[in-house]
Amino acid sequence: MSSHSIKRRRLSHSSHHAVPGAQIAEKNGPPMNLHSKSPHENMPMKATQNSEMPAVSSKRQGTDNVTAEFALASGVYKSSFFKLQMDELLSELRPNYDRHVAKLQDTLHQLKSIIEQIPEKQPQSAWEAEKELRSTHGITVPFPEPRPGRETKYPFAYVKPTNVNVVGSLSLQTGAKSSNPLTVDLAVTMPSAIFQEKDYINHRFFQKRAYYIATIAAGIKAAAGLDLHVKFALQDGDSLRPVIILEPITSTKSGNMSSKLRIRVITAIEESLFPVSRTIPTRNNIRQGPADSFISEGATPVYNASLRSEATVALYHKYIYSNIRRCESFKDACILGRAWLQQRGFGSSYRSGGLGGFEWTALMSLLLDGGGPNGKPVLLKSYSSYQLFKATLQFLAGRDLTNPLALFTADLSFPGGSPVLYDGKRGLNILYKMTLWSYAFLRREADVTVRMLNESRDDNFDKVFILKANEPLLRFDRLIELPALASASSLQDLQSQNMIYEVLVRALGDRAGLVHLRGCATEPWPVDSRHNFKTASGHLTVGLVLDAENATRVVDHGPAAEHKDEAVSFRSFWGEKAELRRFKDGSIRESLVWLDSATAPSIINQILSYILKRHFNYTDFDIKIVGDEFDETLRKNGDGVVSYSSPPFQKIHDAFNSLQRSVQDMDGVPLTTRHLAPADPLLRYTALRLQSAPNVLCGPVDIVLQFESSARWPDDLVAIQMTKLAFLVKIGDYLQSSGAAHLCKIGLEDVSSRILNNAFLDITHTSNVLFRLRIHHDREQMLLERHLKDKGSHPSMRQELAYALSEYKRQFVQAPRLTQAIRTLCTRFPLLSPTIRLVKHWFSQHLLTEQIREETVELLVVRVFTQPYPWDTPSSIMTGFMRTLQLLARWDWQQEALMVDFGALDKTTVEAIQTRFSAWRKIDPAMNTLSLFVASDLDPDGVTWTQYEKPSKVVAARMCTLAKASMAMLRDHGYGFDTKELFRTSLAPYDFIIKLRPKLLHEITTSATTFKLADRREKLQASGHAVVQSFVHDLRACYSPNILFFHSDGNPGVVAGLWNPQALRAKGWTLKMAYSTSLTKLEDAEANDQVVINRPAILNEISRLGSLMIDSIELQGTDKNLA
Amino acid sequence: MKKDLEVAGYAVLPLQLPKTSSAKAATHYMYLRAHEPRIPDEDTPRSMFIVNVPIDTTETHLRHLFGTQLSAGRVERVHFESVPTKKNQAALPQANVGGSKAKKRKRVTADELESQLEDIELPAVWDRPLQKSGAHAVVVFVDQPSMEASLKAARKAARKAVSGSSSSKKIVWGEGLDEDRVPALGLERYLFHSQARYPSRGELLRTVNDFMTVFEQVAESRKREAARKAQEPDEDGFVTVTSGPKLADATHEDEARELIEKQKKKQEGLEDFYRFQSREKRKERQHELLRKFDEDKRKLADLKRRKGKFAPE
Repeated sequence: MSSHSIKRRRLSHSSHHAVPGAQIAEKNGPPMNLHSKSPHENMPMKATQNSEMPAVSSKRQGTDNVTAEFALASGVYKSSFFKLQMDELLSELRPNYDRHVAKLQDTLHQLKSIIEQIPEKQPQSAWEAEKELRSTHGITVPFPEPRPGRETKYPFAYVKPTNVNVVGSLSLQTGAKSSNPLTVDLAVTMPSAIFQEKDYINHRFFQKRAYYIATIAAGIKAAAGLDLHVKFALQDGDSLRPVIILEPITSTKSGNMSSKLRIRVITAIEESLFPVSRTIPTRNNIRQGPADSFISEGATPVYNASLRSEATVALYHKYIYSNIRRCESFKDACILGRAWLQQRGFGSSYRSGGLGGFEWTALMSLLLDGGGPNGKPVLLKSYSSYQLFKATLQFLAGRDLTNPLALFTADLSFPGGSPVLYDGKRGLNILYKMTLWSYAFLRREADVTVRMLNESRDDNFDKVFILKANEPLLRFDRLIELPALASASSLQDLQSQNMIYEVLVRALGDRAGLVHLRGCATEPWPVDSRHNFKTASGHLTVGLVLDAENATRVVDHGPAAEHKDEAVSFRSFWGEKAELRRFKDGSIRESLVWLDSATAPSIINQILSYILKRHFNYTDFDIKIVGDEFDETLRKNGDGVVSYSSPPFQKIHDAFNSLQRSVQDMDGVPLTTRHLAPADPLLRYTALRLQSAPNVLCGPVDIVLQFESSARWPDDLVAIQMTKLAFLVKIGDYLQSSGAAHLCKIGLEDVSSRILNNAFLDITHTSNVLFRLRIHHDREQMLLERHLKDKGSHPSMRQELAYALSEYKRQFVQAPRLTQAIRTLCTRFPLLSPTIRLVKHWFSQHLLTEQIREETVELLVVRVFTQPYPWDTPSSIMTGFMRTLQLLARWDWQQEALMVDFGALDKTTVEAIQTRFSAWRKIDPAMNTLSLFVASDLDPDGVTWTQYEKPSKVVAARMCTLAKASMAMLRDHGYGFDTKELFRTSLAPYDFIIKLRPKLLHEITTSATTFKLADRREKLQASGHAVVQSFVHDLRACYSPNILFFHSDGNPGVVAGLWNPQALRAKGWTLKMAYSTSLTKLEDAEANDQVVINRPAILNEISRLGSLMIDSIELQGTDKNLA
Repeated sequence: MKKDLEVAGYAVLPLQLPKTSSAKAATHYMYLRAHEPRIPDEDTPRSMFIVNVPIDTTETHLRHLFGTQLSAGRVERVHFESVPTKKNQAALPQANVGGSKAKKRKRVTADELESQLEDIELPAVWDRPLQKSGAHAVVVFVDQPSMEASLKAARKAARKAVSGSSSSKKIVWGEGLDEDRVPALGLERYLFHSQARYPSRGELLRTVNDFMTVFEQVAESRKREAARKAQEPDEDGFVTVTSGPKLADATHEDEARELIEKQKKKQEGLEDFYRFQSREKRKERQHELLRKFDEDKRKLADLKRRKGKFAPE
C-alpha cells in the first residue's frame, strides 16, 4: 500500500480555475449564480421575447415593426415571417430555468454534500475494491472491458473530489426542451492524487474512474431522503465511461424534482493530469490486454479523445460561457441547433451520430474564433441567431472535415478515416465520436437545410425545425436489420460497424448515395448488477439512400483483366459472383451479373444478401430487408409493370405517335390539324392498370385534337358542339378508310346539357389501342366567359355555364398540359411513375378512386418529388409512397392550399395562388363545392381537379384520416410493420354495402344472347366494367348529396354507401328536400311535419334499379335496425 | 274519426314498394296537392303537383297509379322536374346570338325557328330516364274533375293505409303494370345504354344536318331583321347609321385587350421621372413592408391557433 503512495505523483492543483459561477456555492446553486444578480437578468426569456433584435441594433429596442423592417432590410433573417415563427419556436423550446432551478436547488445541494461526505478509501487492488463494494454496498463496479483481473497491480482508491460542479446546458442555458427529460450534468472532478503518471494507457484510467463512480453511487445510494433511482448508464454510449443517472421515483410525488428532469453524475479530471501530447489522435495508448480484447496496432484516436474529454469538461464550460457573454444570440443559436439536430436524429452518443447539443455548442464556439479561410472566424459575434445557425450549417455542408481541420495548433497529423475538427487549445477533436457514415449523413442534412434556407419561394421553417425528419421509412430507400454484434466495448462495436460499412459501400458503389448505420442503444442499468450486453436484443440497422438511376443496373463492370492487382482484389471481394466477360466494346472485364426478373428480389437485395453472407456469414434468416414489399405490391396490382419504360406503356405510346402522324396529314377534313395532344394517364405513365384483360390494353385513351383556327366556326355554343360532331364523323371516315384505324365510332356523353362537349370519337387503332378523341375549339372558352359576364341570365343558367367552363378548361386545357408535364417529369424521375401508380392503388383499395380524380393524386405525388424537402427526391417507391401519405397526413386542407412545382413556381405565383385560395374559402366557407385546393404553376386556378365535390369534404377528411392512421401505424410498429396493412381497408365505417353479383363482369358476354338487343355482340363485350360504372353513376345522380357512394376498380364488386348525417336528422318538411322522406310519426301527422330520410324505401329503390345485378345489400351500424 | 294524413298542405300517399331479391318491402311516401304555380296557365286547374316520386317513375307509372290503382282519373301528360319545360328553355344561351337588344326586335319567324332548333336533339342514350330522389312532377289530367277525384282518392287511400284496417288493399307501386310497357331496369338498362351511346353514323349526320340547316336559317333571318331595322326610323324618327360589316364581339375584345397592353408598354420606364414619383414610391414600399409585417403577424397568430404550440414534432 505504502509503496503505491510513494509512487503517486502529486499533480499540482494550481491549474484549476473556478468556472465563473458554475461552482456550487453554499447558498446559491450553480446556475443561480450566473443570473441571480438582478431579477431582470434572471428572466432572460421573458425579457427578450419581443425584443429579439439583430445583434447590431440591440440599442434600438423599438416596436416590432421596426424590428421587422430592419430584419427585412438587412436580410438578417430569412423573412419576417420566418423570424416571427423562430421567435415562437425559441420561446417554446427554452426551458423555464427559474422553475427548474428552484426545483433542483435543494436536491443538488444535498447531492453535493453527500458526495463530499463519502469517506475516503485507502488504495487497494482492483479485486479487493470490487469485492468490498459488492459485499458492503451491493454495488457492482461498472468496469469497462477488459475488466481488471486479479493480477492487476495498480491501486484503486477513493479521495474526496476536488470539486463538484454543475456544468453543461442547464447552467449555461443553452438547452432546449425535447421529449427526453432535461439532463443536469453534475461534474465531479476526481483528485489527481488517485492517478499515476502512466494511467492513460491500457484502460487504467477508465478502470479507476469506474471504481470512483461506483463509490459515489454507493454513497448516494446509502444516503437517505433523496427519493431518486440510482442507475448506471454510459456517457454518450461510450463503454469506457459509465456515469450515474439519478431519476426521480415517479410513484412518490416528490416535490423536489419533476419527472422531466434527471441528474447525471459525470466525472472530470484536472486539465494537466495527463499531458496533451499523450492524447493527441495519433498516439497508441492501448498496447496490451487480454488475448480476446481489442488491441490496436496503430493510433487509438477515439480512446485518446475519450480520455481527453474528461480533462476538458471545465475548459469547455468556461469557453462556452465566455462565448455566451461575448455573443448575444449564441444561446438562441444553440437552441436552434439542438432542435435541428434532434429532428434529424443526431445526438451526442456514438449511436446517434456523435454530434449532439454539446458538440454543436462547442462547434459554434470554435467557429467564432476560427475555421474560415486564413484562420478567420466563420461566425461573427454580431450575427443574429439565425445567421449563426445558418453559417454553422454552411460550414458543415461546405468544409469536408475528413480532410482534418486543426485550429490553434500546427504540425499535428491525424490518422485518416474520420472527420476531424481539432481544438488545439483544449486538445480535443470535438467530432471524435462521429463515424464516416454519420458524418456523411450530417453533411447531407446540412446541405439540404442550407438549400432550404436559401430558397426564396418558401420559408421552409416547418421543414427545418418542426417536421420530424428521421423516420426511417420516409428517409431511407432500403432498411436492413442485422442481429446485434454483441460486444461490451464500444470501441470494438465501432470497429465492426466500420467493417460492415466499408463492405457495403464498396459493394453498392454508385447504387447508393448514402449508407447509414445505427447500432442499438444501451439502456441504464441498476447499480447492483453488471450490464449484460449479451442479452440486450438489439439490432444493427442499416439505412440506404439509393441512386434512382443506378440502383437497378443489372451488370456491374469491374476492372479490366489486364489490371492484375485490381482484378485480384475484385475477385477476392466478390468471390464466385465475379466473372470474366467480354463486352461489346471489345474489352474483357471482371463483372457481376445480377438476376433481373419479376420473381427475383430486387438487385439491391440480391447484392446485400450476397455480400453480407460472404463477408460476415449472415444467413438469409438473419438479414431483414425492408423496401422491396412496395415494388412487389405494385407489380402484383399494376399488371406486372413497375417501370415507366415497360413495353405496355411503350406500346400505347407508339400507337399514339402513329395515330398522330395519320391525323397530321388528314385529307377530306376541311380544317388542318394543329395539334393532337395526349390527355390520359395511360399516356403519361401514371395509369395503375394497363390491361383490362390478359393481352387487352386498357382504354379508352383520351386524346385532344385542335384544328388550326378558322373564322368559319359558328359563334354559338350549341352549334359548336354540332360542328364538332360533324368533324368527328369526317375524321372517323378518314381514319377508317386510310387504314389507320380498325374501327371508328362516335359516342355521346353529357347529353343532359347542350353546351358541354357532347361527342367523342372512339378509335380502335390498328395496334388495338382504343383512343377517345375529342375536339378542342378555343372559341368556346371566350363564348362561355362572355355569357357568364352577362348579368341578366338566370342563376341556374349561370351555374350551367360555369360548370361548362370548368369542364372545358379541365378537358381541353389542363388535361393535355398536365399530361405533357408529368410525362417529362416521369423521364426525369424514374420513380415518379411507379410511385404515382402505387399511391393510386392505395386510393383504390380504400374505395376513394371515384371520389377523387386521378389527377389530384398525381399532383400530390409530383409535389413529393419536386418539393422533397427536408429530404432529397425519393429514390425508391417506398420513400415516395410513404412521403405522399405523410404529406396527406400533415395537410391541413381546410386552411392550406397545396402548391405543386412543375419547374416555374415562383414567389409571385405562390402569392397569386394564395389569394385565389383565400377567395375560394371566402366564397364557399362551408366547402360545399370545393374542399381540396391543389394548384400548380401550370394551373394557378387550383380548382381544376377538385371542384364540384371531387372530393367532398367528408371524403377529403376520410382520406386524411386514413393517411394519418397509416403514419401512426408506422410510428408504433417501426419498420417491423406489414405493408399489406396499409392497403387493407375496412368496410366497417360505411352504412351499407351493395354487393354486386360476383360474376357480373364475366356473365355479360355469355348471357347477352338472352337479351333482345344483343344482336351486336362485340359491342357488349367489354362493357362489364362500364355497366358497373354506369350503375354507380346513376346512383350518384339520384341520391347525391344525401348518400355518398364509394366504389373503385380495385374492389369492383362492392359499392359502399354512407348516409349524409344532415339528412338523417328529423326536419320540418319543405319542398326543397332533395331526398325521399318519411314522416316521423304517422299516427299524429297533422301536429307533426317532421320528416327524415326514408332509408328502407331508398334501399328498396336501389335494389330495384340494380335488380339482378345486385347480389345483396348489407346493412351495417345503425342501419342494421332497418333489416 | 280519422284525420287526413297531411303535411304542410300536401296529402301524403303511402306507396308499398314490393320486396326485391336484395331488399325487403318498404313504404314510400308521395306528397300531392293541386297545382298552384306562381303564374297559372290554362292547364293549371287540371294539374296536380306531386313531390317525392320514386326514382324509377315514368309517365306510365303515374297513369297506372291514378287511372287503374286509384281508379279516379285519366292522366293526359306528366312534366317531370328533370325535364326542363319549354318556358325555362327560353333562357338558354343559344337564343343569345344577337344579344339582348336583338331579342326585343326579332320577328316571330326567328323565334319559331329557334324553338325548332331546340327540338333537334341528339339521339337518346337512355331508354328510361331516372328521377332524382325526392323530385317533384306535375301531372296534367284530362280535366279538372279527374284531378280532384284523384286527389280525393289518394287521401282516402292514405287514410286507409294509416288506419291499417285494410292492409290487404295497400297500394303497391307498379303492381299490375305490364312489364313490357316500361323499359327494364338493371343489367338490361345498362346494356341498352352501352349501345345507345354509340348512335349510328347516319342518325348523327341527320341530326347535325337538320340542326345546321335551321341554324343557318336563324342566322339568315336575324341578319335580315337587323338590316331592316337599320332602315327603319325609330320612335323619334331617327335612323341609326351603321357602317360596314360588324366585327364579331369576340374579335373586338381581343383588339381592346391588345390596345391596353400597348398603352401599358408605352408608359414603362417613365416612372422615376419626377422626384415626387420616387418619393412616393419609397413611401409606398415602406407601407407595403408594414402591411406585410402585419399580415405575417396575423398569419402567425392564425397558425398558433390552429396548431397550438410551435414545437418540433
